[in-house]
Amino acid sequence: MSGDQIHPVPTGFLRRHVFSTDHKVIARQFMWVGFLGLFLGGVMAMMIRWQLAHPGEPFPLLGMLFWPSSGGAIPPDAYNTLFTMHGTIMIFVGLTPLLIGAWGNFCIPLMIGARDMIFPTLNMLSFWTLFLGVGVAVYSLFVPLGAAEGGWTAYPTLSSNIGTPGDGETLWAISIFLIGASSIMGGINYITTIVRLRAPGMTWGRLPLTVWGLFFTSVLNVLFLPVIGSAMILMVLDRVFGTSFYIPATMAQGGGGDPILYQHLFWIFGHPEVYILILPAWGIVGDLLSFFSRKPAFGYRVTVGALAAVTILSAVVYGHHMFTTGLTAMLGESFMLLTFIISVPGEILFFNWLHTLWRGDLRLTSAMLFSMGVIFVFGLGGLTGIYLATISTDIYLHDTYFVVGHFHLTMAASSLFGAFAGCYFWYPKLYGRMLDERLGKLHFWATFLPLTFVFCAMFFSGYGGMPRRYFDHTDNPYTNELQWINELTSTAAFILGAAQLLFVVNVLKTIRSGAKAPQNPWEVGTLEWTAASPPPHHNFDTIPVVLTGPHEFSNPAIRGGKDWIYQTEPLSG
Amino acid sequence: MDHALTLPRETPRHRTDVALGLVLFIGSWSMAFATLFLSFLILRQRQPAWPPEGVVLPSLGLAAAGTAVLLASSVVLAGAVRRLRAGAPGFAARWALGLALGLAFAALQTWLWSDVWSAGGRPDSGMYEGLFYMLTWFHAAHVACGLLALLWIQGAAAAGRIGPQRSAPAAGVATFWHFVDAVWLVLFLGFFLF
Repeated sequence: MSGDQIHPVPTGFLRRHVFSTDHKVIARQFMWVGFLGLFLGGVMAMMIRWQLAHPGEPFPLLGMLFWPSSGGAIPPDAYNTLFTMHGTIMIFVGLTPLLIGAWGNFCIPLMIGARDMIFPTLNMLSFWTLFLGVGVAVYSLFVPLGAAEGGWTAYPTLSSNIGTPGDGETLWAISIFLIGASSIMGGINYITTIVRLRAPGMTWGRLPLTVWGLFFTSVLNVLFLPVIGSAMILMVLDRVFGTSFYIPATMAQGGGGDPILYQHLFWIFGHPEVYILILPAWGIVGDLLSFFSRKPAFGYRVTVGALAAVTILSAVVYGHHMFTTGLTAMLGESFMLLTFIISVPGEILFFNWLHTLWRGDLRLTSAMLFSMGVIFVFGLGGLTGIYLATISTDIYLHDTYFVVGHFHLTMAASSLFGAFAGCYFWYPKLYGRMLDERLGKLHFWATFLPLTFVFCAMFFSGYGGMPRRYFDHTDNPYTNELQWINELTSTAAFILGAAQLLFVVNVLKTIRSGAKAPQNPWEVGTLEWTAASPPPHHNFDTIPVVLTGPHEFSNPAIRGGKDWIYQTEPLSG
Repeated sequence: MDHALTLPRETPRHRTDVALGLVLFIGSWSMAFATLFLSFLILRQRQPAWPPEGVVLPSLGLAAAGTAVLLASSVVLAGAVRRLRAGAPGFAARWALGLALGLAFAALQTWLWSDVWSAGGRPDSGMYEGLFYMLTWFHAAHVACGLLALLWIQGAAAAGRIGPQRSAPAAGVATFWHFVDAVWLVLFLGFFLF
């Protein structure tokens, strides 16, 4: 119903720009929160890398501001907080709002030919619930007895009152609950919108892959965010009301609980969560590789099937995070086998992407470079995942930098590249101005090269035996031998951090004096490019009628000297 | 979903939209309850005896009375929605009865808590008490939301904003209430009875 009605543009600043129900405004709000998250999490990463390379030395510039009592050097408890909040903020404040909040909100209605999300008020609530959660997370850094220190996974008893007495850990749990609630609202909205509001002719087989990726992500959000929400409730009760659900009998006052229970609940959510982050990126990559190779996406239906298979399998592999907790042999081997099986649809996606590129008329725009970057870094992360899926090697590699390198390449770097690809691709439609392509390409290479170095170097230090989350590796004669790898890694990481200034400059420059974006700068046919840049409040003057798939490129049936058509044009035209 | 009220007239298509959203919401929230219930079962399994020795058991009679009242409220509300859709009179009165039964459940639940509390049962007394408060608190939070929603529909009906032409909000709230009810039934069977 909200699909074919034109709602009047709201008047008044608050309704238009703050408490707006327009999916495009909400997308922009999510985007800026996402970039704020990447900035905060990125600064924390720089501090972590500083401590690893130069333990005990004062952190340049900001050190004296945050830790005057230690002369600007990072104290051990602050280091724990840094790696805890780095992970939490990057995942829940950086990547989730960018990929799912911003690109999900912006793309779904525009790509399926709808005027807005199906539940616009719920959409607004989703953003403000996230905002509240982000506020709680940031506030938790400044509370009595200290911020969260239990790692982003917050395993008890590290995260119990015994391990982390500060109120920050409680607020951390509350903020995860709030951000999770926001994702559930978004997920319900996205699924219902995709099922109910597709324009006439937009069959399931003509949906852009971006929408497919977001659809599967939403399914996982709706199913598994409640699990972490409940796990957080148990944690808050343990911390505030003195229950002992996660406290082993030897430490509890009353009956004994089970810290491993938390690990199960966390990873029942946590493994789908990595696919929640990567599926939208995979969807975006699937589309962009076709758009900038000027070829149809190879094996569209198989790609969608593989995405579906990954979605289903992602729910049954979580035990590979827990091989060292004493799972029974049968359970451990089952999880190992299922984890190997999930790599099969992953490989299908890879071959389809490579075949899409094969003999294509490649246009190496910034968005395309970042899309190809996703293939590369996810490939590296995926191959090293085999060692972690195998019980015998995982027991050796568990909790080392090998794991840190692996999950940063897969879930962190791939999602980040997907988010940047989306940003370079849709920014012209979002704001009506072109980002600078030359700066964009420079940004890609200045990000891609040091990033690959940083996380590949971690494979070496981790394989060498360097444990993650240790405050100082130099006070142990064995890990001290590996300190030179840490120093190299940190240098590359600082270059990676500094390279992000190129993006900041690019956005500032575009806001000030960016070229006005034409309606369809990339010459692609999906529905968002039939609308003006930026689209009007109601997106489409008349609801489009879809006649072809999203990837009709270089089809001999296309006439008029073009190699593409809009989805609203007939192929024989 | 609340924009439904500002729309001129409800269509079957809109009802389906709301119904799908509600199914997804309830499916999602079932996962939250399932997680807590699974945790309860695992932690219960870990104890040497269940119920543990010397623990103050909450009154089974009060819990059973609460179950009866809650089930009755669901039946009444389902009847109210049926009448609303059919255009038959008596919706507001039946809805008010359902609301009153819901409030009665809240009163019984409060009685149950004060019983356990005055006998010395605190969340940190032991695993049994911890699980008791955890499950009932989380459920009660949903009862509270449900009661507010029931009240909202009552007000909307009194203001003439609910009628045979626009029944989706009432039907949605009733469905949510049935869900809260079903969760309680599982809780009653799993925690109080067995």
